[in-house]
Amino acid sequence: MFTESQLYLAMVFLKMFLRDIQSIFFNLFFPMAFIGVFLFTGGEPDPIKVGIVDKAQNQLSRSFSSLLDQDTTFEVIEGLETDLKTQLIDGELIAIVEIPKQFDYENQTGKLNLILDASQVRQLDGIKDSIEKTLLSIERELRGNEAMFSLEIVDMKARSQRYIDFLVPGLLAFMLMNLSIAGSGFNLVEYRRRGILKRLFVTPIMPKDFIVSIVLARLAIVLIQLSVILWFALLVLDIQFIGGLLSLYGMIMLGSLIFLCFGFCFGSIAKTQEAIRPLVTSFTFPQLILSGVFFPISSLPEIIQPIAQWLPLSVIASSLRGIANDGLNLLSFDLNLMGVLIWLIVSFFLATRYFVWRDVAG
Amino acid sequence: MNIIEVKDLKKAYLLPSDKTKTFNAVDSISLGIKKGEVYGILGPNGAGKTTTLEMLEGLKEIDDGSAIIDGIDVSKDPYEVKKVIGVQLQSNEYFDKLDLSELLTLFSKLYSTNIDHSKLLDQVNLLDKANAKTQHLSGGQRQRFSIACALVNNPKILFLDEPTTGLDPQAKRNLWNLVKDLNASGMTIVLTTHNMEEAEHLCDRIAIMDEGKLIAEDTPKALIEKYAPKPSDIPLTGNIEDVFLNLTGHSLRD
Repeated sequence: MFTESQLYLAMVFLKMFLRDIQSIFFNLFFPMAFIGVFLFTGGEPDPIKVGIVDKAQNQLSRSFSSLLDQDTTFEVIEGLETDLKTQLIDGELIAIVEIPKQFDYENQTGKLNLILDASQVRQLDGIKDSIEKTLLSIERELRGNEAMFSLEIVDMKARSQRYIDFLVPGLLAFMLMNLSIAGSGFNLVEYRRRGILKRLFVTPIMPKDFIVSIVLARLAIVLIQLSVILWFALLVLDIQFIGGLLSLYGMIMLGSLIFLCFGFCFGSIAKTQEAIRPLVTSFTFPQLILSGVFFPISSLPEIIQPIAQWLPLSVIASSLRGIANDGLNLLSFDLNLMGVLIWLIVSFFLATRYFVWRDVAG
Repeated sequence: MNIIEVKDLKKAYLLPSDKTKTFNAVDSISLGIKKGEVYGILGPNGAGKTTTLEMLEGLKEIDDGSAIIDGIDVSKDPYEVKKVIGVQLQSNEYFDKLDLSELLTLFSKLYSTNIDHSKLLDQVNLLDKANAKTQHLSGGQRQRFSIACALVNNPKILFLDEPTTGLDPQAKRNLWNLVKDLNASGMTIVLTTHNMEEAEHLCDRIAIMDEGKLIAEDTPKALIEKYAPKPSDIPLTGNIEDVFLNLTGHSLRD
C-alpha cells in the first residue's frame, strides 16, 4: 500500500515533530489549560456563605436557620450583627439574613431582612429564590401543608449535559484544524523557502510520495495529541461519551484530511511565511468564532447561522459532538457527516488544483 | 564515449520587467560530456549555468531540445536519470532536527537503498560530526556534507553547483581534493563555478556560457592558447580569467 520511501519519510517527519518539544507543549497547553479550568469549577458549585443574625431566638427562627443550613446551596454562619457585617464588607460572606426580634408568622411579622452588597452579588436572584423557597417550605411544615405543585426537571434525552461535554469535541476539532494546516501549509512553505523541498526532489521520489508522507505523519501527530486531550477529558473530567471510539477516531482522521488539503492549497499559494500566516488566520479565525467550538451555533445571530453551520470546522465539530454526545455512527445518515464528505471532496479538488509541483519545489 | 549528450537545449522564462515577453535563459545549448572527466561550466551570473544543470537533473522542465544522460532521455524519464546522478545544490539547508547520519540514512531510503553512513561521512572527512546538526557545521563542512548526500546512491555522474563559493582557501583546497578523489574513482563530474582557478585546477574541459549561449568549449590549455592575449615580446601569459574576461567582457552583471 505504501512504499518504503513513503513510510520512512513519514517516520522522519514524525520524529522531527516529536523532537520539537516546544511546539508539542504549546499545542497541548491551550486546550489542556482551557479544559483544566473545569477541574476546579466543574461539579457542584461552592456553597454560598450566608450569615444569620438571629435576634428572635425563638423556635421559628431556629427552624428557619437549620432548614437553610440543610440546603446545600448555602453554608450558614450564625453570629453577631457587627461581626458578620465586617465579614460581609471583607467579602467573606455573600449576604446576611437578619431575623428581627418579633419573628412570628402568627403575628404577621415574618419579615426578614437580607443585607448584602448588591454590586458584588451576581447571584442575587438565585439567593433570593433559595431563601424564599426555604421560607416556603418552613411555612408548609409549620402549617402541615403538602406542596401543591412541584417542578421536576427531566432532560428530554434522559441524560445531563454539562458545558464540558459540549466543549471537548469542539476543542478537538479546533486542535485538529490547527495541527493539520500547520503540518501541510506551514511546513510546505518552510521547506520550499529553505530549498529542502528541491533537495528532496533531486532524489527519485515523486510528489505524491512526499504528500503521502506528510499526510501519514500528520495523521499520527493529530491522533497522538488529540488522544492526550480526549483521555484527559474522559478519565479526569469524566466527560460524557456515548458513541464509538472507532467512529470518533475515524471522524478525526477525515477532519484532518480536509484541513491537510486546505493546508497544501495555502502552502502552494503563499510563497513566504509572512504570506501564509495571514492567509491561514483569515481561514481559521472566523471558523473559531462561527463554528460552535465554544458556544452553540444556535446562539449566533440568525442571519449568520445557515452559513456558519456549513463551515468545515462546524461540520467536523458537530459530527464529533454527535458521535460523543449522541452516539452517532460514522455510517449513519447525518447532515453534518454529509457536510464532512462534501468538504473532503472540495478540499481535495482545491489542493490538487493549486498544488503545481514544479513551482512548489522551485 | 559521451555520458551526457545535450542538443539544442532551451529554457524560456517570462521577462521580469515585462511579463508578456519571454527571454531564453538557456538558448540552444549543445554539449557532450565524456565519461570520467571533470567538466566545468563557467559564466557570469545569469548566464544560464544553474538552469542548464537543473534541466539535466530533472528539476526543471526542458522546453526544447534533448538531453541524454547515460542513455536515458531526461525529459521522458527524469526519475530514471535521478537514480544514476548525484546532485549538490547551491542551497545546502536540511531538516534541522536531524543529525548528519540520520539525514544520510533518509536520503538513502529515498533511493530505496541502504548505506553505511559512517563510511560515507569518513569519505568526506566528517565522521566526528555524525551526531551534529547541519546548522552547526561550518561552510566547508556543509559543502562536504552536501557532497556526501549526493553520493548515497553511488552515482555515475556528480553535479556540483558552485561548490566552493564562500569557502576559505583551506576549505576550498580540501573540497578540490575530494572532487579529484571522486573523479579518480571513475565518477564523471559536472560543476559550475565563478572561480577561474578552480576551473583551471580541476577541470579536464571547460564550457563558457554567456546570456544563455555556449560561447567556448575546450580544455583549459587550448582555451588559453586560443583566447588569452599574447603580447608578441613576452612568452605565453594570461590565465583562464583573461580568457573569461576577453570572452564575456568587463561589464558588471547582477
